[in-house]
Amino acid sequence: MARWMKSLAAAAGIAALASSVAVSGASADAISDIKGRGKLIVGVKADYAPYGFLDSSGKIVGIEPELAQDVADVLDADLELVPVVSSNRMQFLEQGKIDLMIATMTDRNDRREVVQIVDPNYYSSGTNILTKGNFAKWEDLKGAPVCGIQGAFYNRKTSEEFGAEIVAFKGTAEALTALKQNRCVAFVYDDSFIVSRLGDPDWEGWKMPLPTIDDAPWGLAVKKGEDAFAMLMSGMIVKWHVSGRILELESKYGLEQTPFAKKMHQAFLDFNPSIER
Amino acid sequence: MKRAPVFHGETDLPVLLPAARRLARRAERERLAGGPLPRLKARHGLWLLAILLLSAGVAQAQADAQVKESVITAIFKWMPVLLQGFIFNIAISFLAMVIGTAVGAVLGLMQISLLPPVRFGSWFVTQFFRNAPWLVLLFFCMFLLPFEFDLGFATIPFPDWVKATIGLALPVMANVSEIVRGAVQSLPSGQWEAAESLAFSRRQTLWEIILPQCVKRMLPPWMNLYAILTMATVLASIVGVSEMMTQTGRALAAENRPELLIPFYSFVLICFFAYCYPIAVWTRRLERRYQVKL
Repeated sequence: MARWMKSLAAAAGIAALASSVAVSGASADAISDIKGRGKLIVGVKADYAPYGFLDSSGKIVGIEPELAQDVADVLDADLELVPVVSSNRMQFLEQGKIDLMIATMTDRNDRREVVQIVDPNYYSSGTNILTKGNFAKWEDLKGAPVCGIQGAFYNRKTSEEFGAEIVAFKGTAEALTALKQNRCVAFVYDDSFIVSRLGDPDWEGWKMPLPTIDDAPWGLAVKKGEDAFAMLMSGMIVKWHVSGRILELESKYGLEQTPFAKKMHQAFLDFNPSIER
Repeated sequence: MKRAPVFHGETDLPVLLPAARRLARRAERERLAGGPLPRLKARHGLWLLAILLLSAGVAQAQADAQVKESVITAIFKWMPVLLQGFIFNIAISFLAMVIGTAVGAVLGLMQISLLPPVRFGSWFVTQFFRNAPWLVLLFFCMFLLPFEFDLGFATIPFPDWVKATIGLALPVMANVSEIVRGAVQSLPSGQWEAAESLAFSRRQTLWEIILPQCVKRMLPPWMNLYAILTMATVLASIVGVSEMMTQTGRALAAENRPELLIPFYSFVLICFFAYCYPIAVWTRRLERRYQVKL
């Protein structure tokens, strides 16, 4: 008697725990939803200067928020920015919490299965290191402690293929502090970020000596199945490339113009010359 | 032969002498002070402040003083953003405590129920949530709860910080449940027997005799739990809630000046200290007042 009651109670407890709610906001079509509420909700990074960062009034600014503003202008809607991090950005999109995600996400096939990444890619960056040491090739990092950011996909490659020992940090500020304190010999990160650091007088004498690897495109994404919205975003990205908007924003935020943005600008000029007329 | 008087915490038997002496010295000091002495002292806050100023000074020395604004100015500039985050921390801790206490009290009373299924069920839930890592519970709540509830006629938004509140309320609930159960069981059985002999029903005994005596025993551990919870709210930064820790990280990312790292985090420490220290003092005071005398 007592025994089956005990197991029954345990089962009931487990059932209560397992019955987690799985409700999601119903949405028929993202564009009509956005027009209906008069507000476009975009997920952007808030800790990734200069792509998305806070200004001292607490507002999110940067390259990606400006791109989001362009989309809102086209849709004639207000813009709401939701700060996301790598671990929750795709979930937010799936749940319908954000309409659009422009959050420095590398375009990868496994991610394409979860969210709808819009073609063409709007940006691209590769992996490189910031260091004071003499490294000529990636293999030279073997056995050396290298700082990285938690959750970055190239950490694994750097450690497994090149044999470096990754010391992962929460944010760039922590990692750069560790680098300056000699807790690691190099910092492995996006090359565009490293280039922007090299221009800073604080980092005089530091360099980016290795060939950039893994030049991977970034994809902005909409919820899976939002084909109409994805088409609209494709058009937006083409427009950005044609007009040189990305290059302009790179210059505005103190980045070197990346080869990818230049290449896309050229490619789309040829592709659609009528815009320039 | 006249024997020396034996004070509280002192003995003429050779047992546990070191601790007894230490306790006696402490009791002596407290008698002189006329009240309990908190173990966490205000001067600890001063130390933290000193660390902040020192780190700010070091950072200042590292920075190029002419080109860049001073570290104190930087903290001042970001203060509204950081303090806004801190308000989130307090709101989360407060709400999680209210929810956790309300549910946990019921769960604790269920644990002393006479019905075996109720007792085992609540025991299981309590043990489950008490022994699960807080961060894991937080992750579950973040990703399993919807961001809004559609009730048909109205949509209730369910922002991140509310989800974090629920995630933190679960372990609080389990701990409160144990505090309640422990307090009830710590009362000597004589209380129950006396009540029974006076023909009190079980409910009357519980409500009118047992629980009133429990409240004062539960208060200090309950406040300790609150202080721990407050400090645990920074866990929400890992799941992306815009609380103080997150905002600090973002401010640092925006500033892009590694030398600001220590001063900024010291500022966070000071904020939490300033909030939790009075709670610690108050807890000690209550512990003293409600010391068990049976």
